Amino acid sequence: MAVPSRVIAIEGGFATVEAFGVTRTCNLMLLSDPVGIGDYLILGAGGGFAAAKVAAADALVALEYLEEVLADGRA
Amino acid sequence: MPFSEARIDLTFRLAGDAVVAVRVDSSRQTQAARSLAGRRPDQVVAMLPTVFPLCGTAQALAGMAAIERASGIVVDPAHVLARRMLLLGETLCEHGMGLARDWPALLGEGPDLGSARNLRAAAARLKLLLYPSAYWNRPGGGALEPDRAGLGSAVAAIGGEIAHLLAADPEEPAASPAALSDWAQGGASAAARLFARIFDDGLADFGATDFLPMPSNGPPDLAERLESDADGGYVARPACRGRVFETGALARHAGHPLVAPLLAAHGNGLAARLAARLAEVTESLRDLSALMQNLSDAPSAPTPGVARGCGLGLVEAARGTLVHRVELEDGVVAKYQILAPTEWNFHPAGAMARGMIGVPAGPKLLDRAWMLVNALDPCVVCTLMAE
Repeated sequence: MAVPSRVIAIEGGFATVEAFGVTRTCNLMLLSDPVGIGDYLILGAGGGFAAAKVAAADALVALEYLEEVLADGRA
Repeated sequence: MPFSEARIDLTFRLAGDAVVAVRVDSSRQTQAARSLAGRRPDQVVAMLPTVFPLCGTAQALAGMAAIERASGIVVDPAHVLARRMLLLGETLCEHGMGLARDWPALLGEGPDLGSARNLRAAAARLKLLLYPSAYWNRPGGGALEPDRAGLGSAVAAIGGEIAHLLAADPEEPAASPAALSDWAQGGASAAARLFARIFDDGLADFGATDFLPMPSNGPPDLAERLESDADGGYVARPACRGRVFETGALARHAGHPLVAPLLAAHGNGLAARLAARLAEVTESLRDLSALMQNLSDAPSAPTPGVARGCGLGLVEAARGTLVHRVELEDGVVAKYQILAPTEWNFHPAGAMARGMIGVPAGPKLLDRAWMLVNALDPCVVCTLMAE
């Protein structure tokens, strides 16, 4: 499972992203699409690289589901 | 509350001069799919690639297959073919990420991120080149309008990146063990150097154990075990009458001309498992090109679905057999289950754990175990420890 993370800062090919109150830094080298503040990224296993950029609408639906997973005690 | 990333911790217990036991601690969220209940089937399928992005295409395809079976929807063969192309593209991308990033790391070399990015971009393009309105993941099938010229370019780009990462036409090392050995000794790519290391250090049989390949249609008792899995124990630790199958490239390509002789000579150790991934790359490239010739752009409308039923969707993803099961009631999901390949291969009695029993202790133990982890390729982060 992965958590869509919102980009809050970008510097030198790296983005700082936030999800569920946790911030992480990831490498943007694997992405072909341009990334900006406010975009949502999916991080690869280990979190070191951004694996994909996802549309905000898709990210918000996924985050709502993941909140349910947490509330259900399944994460 | 933070959302913890899942991982698998492997602990090798040493006694005397060998590994005598392997403990597998998994924090994978194997029950999370149950929280999909209450949603419409199309909403679930749309979410799957975002929530389960590793092999996200395979996840959506398995979900669509399960939902279509539960609903009694018959999909046009043109969509079946197009979906197969998407799956092959993802399989090539996943194995390519191994070639570009994971295999060099096993040698202490840096990744080829440029090639990895190009490969992912080319594989991602397949979706819009087949389904320009973006509805590739719609139960029953979206608007299939293949751009044949664009697809030809994308498939050529995928093949070109794979050839770059291997520093060879993929067919060459995959032709036979002798061809693999020649290519490996040439050492022109990280993948070649990894095979050379494995053969030179006598590691071809490292991790070999009893070979229990996943049957081509999944475990024979799959449907009933999932149906009766009230507490989620089966999807967390699957087994079939006491057997824990090995799933993935080796199970699928055990009879390949490159793989079969290695399997006979060295068992299901590093050489056969990594060679099976090379074999799968060549087979997938060949299949992708062949399927492209048979694409149709005028699929019939799907048969209307029913609102109640139960369905199983089984897809051979890059890492192995991926299964989704759904129960529909009144047009919404009443129950959803996912059984992923990692639960077989990294089961406490699975191929990884069994393969490490009896392995000699020593300063290179964890480095070699890492090679085996990469050969089996779990879908989460893994940590290794010896005690």
